[in-house]
Amino acid sequence: MGDSIGDTGSSMHGVSTDKTGKYDLPVDLEDRATVFKLFSFAKPHMRTFHLSWISFSTCFVSTFAAAPLVPIIRENLNLTKQDVGNAGVASVSGSIFSRLVMGAVCDLLGPRYGCAFLVMLSAPTVFSMSFVSGAAGFITVRFMIGFCLATFVSCQYWMSTMFTSKIIGLVNGTAAGWGNMGGGITQLLMPVVYEIIRRCGATAFTAWRIAFFVPGWLHIIMGILVLTLGQDLPGGNRNAVEKKGKVVQDKLGKIMWCAVSNYRTWIFVLLYGYSMGVELSTDNVIAEYFFDRFHLKLHTAGIIAASFGMANFFARPAGGYASDLAAKYFGMRGRLWALWIIQTAGGLFCVWLGRANTLVTAVVAMILFSLGAQAACGATFAIVPFVSRRALGIISGLTGAGGNFGSGLTQLIFFSTSRFTTEQGLTWMGVMIVACTLPVTLCHFPQWGSMFLPPSTVTTEQYYVSEWSEEEKEKNMHLGSLAFAKDAESEGGRRAQSTIIV
Amino acid sequence: MIQFSHGATKQRLFSDLEKGALDVTAKPSRQGVLDAGIDKLSITWKLSSTAKKQANFTTINVNLCYAPVSQVDRPWRRTENELFKDKTCPHKIITRAYNKSSQSFKYTLDRDILTGTYFVHTYAVDAKDYEVAFGQSTNEAKTTNLFSVQAISGRHKSLDIASVCFSVFSVLALLVFFVNGKRKAKLEQSK
Repeated sequence: MGDSIGDTGSSMHGVSTDKTGKYDLPVDLEDRATVFKLFSFAKPHMRTFHLSWISFSTCFVSTFAAAPLVPIIRENLNLTKQDVGNAGVASVSGSIFSRLVMGAVCDLLGPRYGCAFLVMLSAPTVFSMSFVSGAAGFITVRFMIGFCLATFVSCQYWMSTMFTSKIIGLVNGTAAGWGNMGGGITQLLMPVVYEIIRRCGATAFTAWRIAFFVPGWLHIIMGILVLTLGQDLPGGNRNAVEKKGKVVQDKLGKIMWCAVSNYRTWIFVLLYGYSMGVELSTDNVIAEYFFDRFHLKLHTAGIIAASFGMANFFARPAGGYASDLAAKYFGMRGRLWALWIIQTAGGLFCVWLGRANTLVTAVVAMILFSLGAQAACGATFAIVPFVSRRALGIISGLTGAGGNFGSGLTQLIFFSTSRFTTEQGLTWMGVMIVACTLPVTLCHFPQWGSMFLPPSTVTTEQYYVSEWSEEEKEKNMHLGSLAFAKDAESEGGRRAQSTIIV
Repeated sequence: MIQFSHGATKQRLFSDLEKGALDVTAKPSRQGVLDAGIDKLSITWKLSSTAKKQANFTTINVNLCYAPVSQVDRPWRRTENELFKDKTCPHKIITRAYNKSSQSFKYTLDRDILTGTYFVHTYAVDAKDYEVAFGQSTNEAKTTNLFSVQAISGRHKSLDIASVCFSVFSVLALLVFFVNGKRKAKLEQSK
């Protein structure tokens, strides 16, 4: 991501100089919207937002579609607990790789094609559930379907071409949160679809296979909508936009090194593995857990499990907003504290969920856990854009991949073996969340400080410009970082705000 | 000493029941793995000579139960001592009023029976519908006289064909749009 960078690090192969077309929303110099009008579908900005989050959500629906139907599928395919657990790990592992690749794809083809390609090419994987007859097939198909979770990257990338960086936190948080909601929607949708098909006369073992056609059709519909209604940039599609003005070509190798050598990148990769990661793991195990432990009907277990994923609707944006609020008074230090508090609280509620013995306490604990984990996701991506300006795309991709890695790891350790019962697994997962959130205390920004240390004398400008070498600065490749640094000075908290030159 | 089952439904335990009160046999209609919905079992049961509680027997429930090998790594099929929690026996075969003489039943395996290894188990219940005693077609360790069943797969040719059709449509539609888009861009650039 970011082979050629414009002012804000998003890949722009030329900016439209056609100012005759008026936009529905006020825009900045790059035609990116400066306000976020939620209920509008006007092109290009809000329409892109809606196309983007709905396609991302569709991918969540299909990736986790198997989860609420596991009690039926496990009998049809004669699965053991290990098989079910391994399929869950497989469902989140594919996108570790695909999220890393998607950044480059967005750069080469644009986010519109990136999204459409992924969504339409993964439709066959969803339909192939009808062929599955054993554990190996089930695990393979879930692995292949999971690739489509890379739409996270195209979604965030697309938002950054359409919305200005001051509101990008809220926009990205809302788009990602509403996308993640798909993990909750599927827990409601699939049991209902299954029930309808059964009532129409199909046997149980055929009905669940037919049910998978619904997410498959959603993939096709969203792919076509994205191709017909979407556009890469505010000025038009990448193909059609003229290449005007200077285009700064950055080297992929340099950006990769920039991302990988910054220790903060890895702190957030780990942290996201224990906020987003545990959310994905829970999406996979929660319906079966309520079905088995509290002897509920499939339909009821699905509703409860759905409320876990649906909390994303406001929890993730709220986390981003809480971070913004903390930054207003305490700067980056406030953001770091907010993240630590929210994510640790989520971990403690997860422990409580594992230990809850009655249905009511379990549901309450689950809801509080979901709020903590999802708000933590929003709060993480409120900090990630500040880790580096030059390598924002790759760091976002790495962090996103880290989420999936964390999910695969927790499912492998706690939910795929006979060593732990599911309730024990949840308890230990909660403990692991608390432990793996501690490294955020080590994240130090020299210009703003960290949770326990004050800032040193390095300025914001120095931090971001230090990513460029002298010869690169001579070529003026660092101008984008300078502009960003100016914007970012508000992260110094209240005392820094007076130094902003408007 | 065998105790009577308690009044409270939640505390009725398997270990309280009289063992081996009924002699049960289950003979598959053919050798090898049986097919659900097709093959049959010949089941017989009669009062065992060692039974003591037969005065309380009102009804006999005959069930199909998982052998231990089908319960391994599948905690949702666990055998529990508390009867209401026990998940060993997923299928009811038949229920008959208790009769002193030998009873038999020819059972065609239900279509929705799952793949696994099974034995036949009977509960003798009293007038209050509480289990009093049991008998099974296998030994106490559940290792003898077991039979295997293969479930229906749920797959259908029509489903497979529909699946392929939609998949092909998706890929083709994408290609059409992509090629079209490239063509339009070439036209615009040449203008």
